[in-house]
Amino acid sequence: MLHGVPFMGDLLAPPNTLEVLLGNEAIARGALESGLNVAAAYPGTPSTEIGEALSKVAKKVGIYFEWSANEKVATEVAMGAAWSGLRSLTMMKHVGFNVASDAIFTLTYAGVTGAMVIVSADDPHAHSSQNEQDNRHYAEAAGLPMLEPYNPQEAKDYTKDAFEISAKYKIPVLVRTTTRINHQRAPVLLGEITAGPAKGEFEPPEPDRYLQVGKIARKHHHELLSKLKDIQMELAGTYARIEGPTDAEFGIITSGVAYAHAKESLRLVGIDAKVLKLGMTHPLPERTIGEFLSSVNAVMIVEELDPYLEMRIKAIAKDYAPDVEILGKLTGHMPRVGEYTMRTVLEGLSKATGVAPPVNFTEIDGRSAKILERIPPRPPVLCPACPHRSTGYALRRAAGRAAFMGDIGCYALLFEKPFRVEHVTHAMGSSIGLANGINISTERDTVALIGDSTFFHAGIPALINAVHNKRKMLVLIMDNRITAMTGHQPHPGTEFNAVGEEVPAIDIEKIVRSMGIDFVRVIDPYDHAETEKVIREALKRDGVSVIIAKRECALLTVGRLRREGKKIVPYRIDPEKCTYCRVCINTFACPAFVDTGKLVEIDPTVCFGCGACVQVCPYDAIEPQEGSLNWRKDGIGVGM
Amino acid sequence: MEKRWNRGGNVNVKEFNVIVAGVGGQGILFTTNVIARAALKLGLNFAQSEVHGLSQRYGSIRTELRIGEDVSSPLILEGTLDLLIALEPLEGLRQAPYISERTTVIMNDHIIPPIGAYLDRFSIPSFDEVLELMKSLSPREIITIDAYKIAKEAGDYITANTVMLGAAQASGILPFPEGVLRETLEEVSPPKYRDLNLRAFDLGREAVVLPR
Repeated sequence: MLHGVPFMGDLLAPPNTLEVLLGNEAIARGALESGLNVAAAYPGTPSTEIGEALSKVAKKVGIYFEWSANEKVATEVAMGAAWSGLRSLTMMKHVGFNVASDAIFTLTYAGVTGAMVIVSADDPHAHSSQNEQDNRHYAEAAGLPMLEPYNPQEAKDYTKDAFEISAKYKIPVLVRTTTRINHQRAPVLLGEITAGPAKGEFEPPEPDRYLQVGKIARKHHHELLSKLKDIQMELAGTYARIEGPTDAEFGIITSGVAYAHAKESLRLVGIDAKVLKLGMTHPLPERTIGEFLSSVNAVMIVEELDPYLEMRIKAIAKDYAPDVEILGKLTGHMPRVGEYTMRTVLEGLSKATGVAPPVNFTEIDGRSAKILERIPPRPPVLCPACPHRSTGYALRRAAGRAAFMGDIGCYALLFEKPFRVEHVTHAMGSSIGLANGINISTERDTVALIGDSTFFHAGIPALINAVHNKRKMLVLIMDNRITAMTGHQPHPGTEFNAVGEEVPAIDIEKIVRSMGIDFVRVIDPYDHAETEKVIREALKRDGVSVIIAKRECALLTVGRLRREGKKIVPYRIDPEKCTYCRVCINTFACPAFVDTGKLVEIDPTVCFGCGACVQVCPYDAIEPQEGSLNWRKDGIGVGM
Repeated sequence: MEKRWNRGGNVNVKEFNVIVAGVGGQGILFTTNVIARAALKLGLNFAQSEVHGLSQRYGSIRTELRIGEDVSSPLILEGTLDLLIALEPLEGLRQAPYISERTTVIMNDHIIPPIGAYLDRFSIPSFDEVLELMKSLSPREIITIDAYKIAKEAGDYITANTVMLGAAQASGILPFPEGVLRETLEEVSPPKYRDLNLRAFDLGREAVVLPR
């Protein structure tokens, strides 16, 4: 199959059929079956495909969908809809919730007149994230009812339930998922789509409903606690399910995908245990849990990340079953870091009950270790033809001794050899904010590297701060004309929006110039000599200088060339000219280079034929073949 | 090993675990999805895990697919893999903890060396060495395929993944009746690539000669 063709489930398949849906698509479908009117989000793994799915059907179904500038704006867009009597959805990765949280903590006081669902996609194991934060704490801290599905079917069903709870209790509801739910594909039984266009009315139900200050806020705080109490009494227990022999003396309490691992693990080892599966994990069904605890001698808590359930279950046990043994993270039976698998559960069960796991993990680890040490690691790399490779190459040469503040995007990979031009990858927009602090505190040249989408998301205030406070730094905006890392979503700088309409592209250069920065250069990073020269020049300047390295993501270029019917003809290395100096590998490191031990060759199945590497070879050994393009000289990929 | 599934029918599959491994850009998701869709067609339960985001090309990529009525976890337990489809040999070998005497391996013979290995001066094993190491993990027949060459014969090297699907069908290990996988491939291929994909699938299937 051709590269990059998305394989999506049919989000609009008819009701009462089974469709293969990704967990994220199931959430999108659940919203469509709940009368959704408005959805907004900023892309972030593992939440992105919810928005991707909605963006593709928005026009057909008649709902409004946007990729917003950041998660806080997206939340406010959805709030605006839910305060106008409509049904709205916003979704974000776990760290995106931090950005949105300022709005969410007060939203629970205000409540909604329509319905609003917030999806948090947590990432245990930090597969594609900077941390493993556990957003269940947000539910309690902000006062959000929370549902935790364990598979795609339940993800769809719980999304629907979340809308109904929200509408009934006038409160935003959190659906908390994790990577293995978001990125799990399974058959899902579909219901009727009821989403569609709607206009509501913005009429605050009481004059002070949305005015959260002092006395009013305190009144609404009381009201929120009372809503949560009602939900706990009326609903929390209905999401709890007990499975297994009723007379078992050993119990497991679990939720989310951990339930799936626990369920199968119990079957594999044949331990006589009963399972309490929780669906609503805030507020917790205290009585159900208490009675379950009273019915067993010992209970193991199977939950990923923090001991969120464990701590609360201990508190419940004090009233209901003070003598029950509670095993989990706090007792060292279960790990607190990383994601769970059946192995995690089996090892925990083994520690707790002495029953051996069905496979010999020690033996497997021993024999695998011998194999794995013979295989070179394959960390993520920048794609062939990636413009960031050229920027990193030039930056290494021109500013090798600077302090490099990186940001969130594919260019975070520039921390790797041979570039090593990232000392920091932290949070969205942090590159420029940190550059402020490093520049105040040290004498070192300071460079901030930030992508276009990240610049719009959280980079602008930090840049304004730098100018206002007379800092000296180079800000390198790596403008690849798309939100690349999450799979090519538009952002405020693109000429089209989430649903493919033409929109005014906001010009980064004009924004930067409007701040009064006088050194602003726009360059094609494929022009290595020019890029290097401009970086050297910028570093000599006082104040803030900005370089915009503007060249679209290579995958967009390749996709367009293919659509236009142009052939991708790889470059080659002339074996007569190659001296095996390895400069190409050691400084440019394109994944298409193959080291044969005598020469360097280009793997034609990998090379995109961009021609950027030609400039890197000191012996002019890299050359086009018949029909090869040269993206820089032919002006390909810089036309926007 | 006792077969717990019914190879000819569409019922009685307790648990059948598949990993498709390779490097980003080889069409690993597509390959897995075709198998999953075929399972759906047969009314089988399944759960598939994939990881998205970061490094769209040439990172280490794998999907896990678990088919069967007993399945609820989307992740495979170590040592319980039934079928490994390795679009790239090193990535196939990286699945070592999952491979055991119940694993059938189908492996593309084209090694794509990670560029970082050159920078670290890591000596990259030859395909023969990979094969030897693989044999030490599973006593079963290891099916090796020159998928890129066959794909090129079919019309484009990017169909190497479909070649591997054809080989998987020919191995007879999948708990699907003959024809279902090809039919599914035909349905899910975009019209523009349908013929190309089917050609690659058929060539892949023919390339596998099973020991009698």
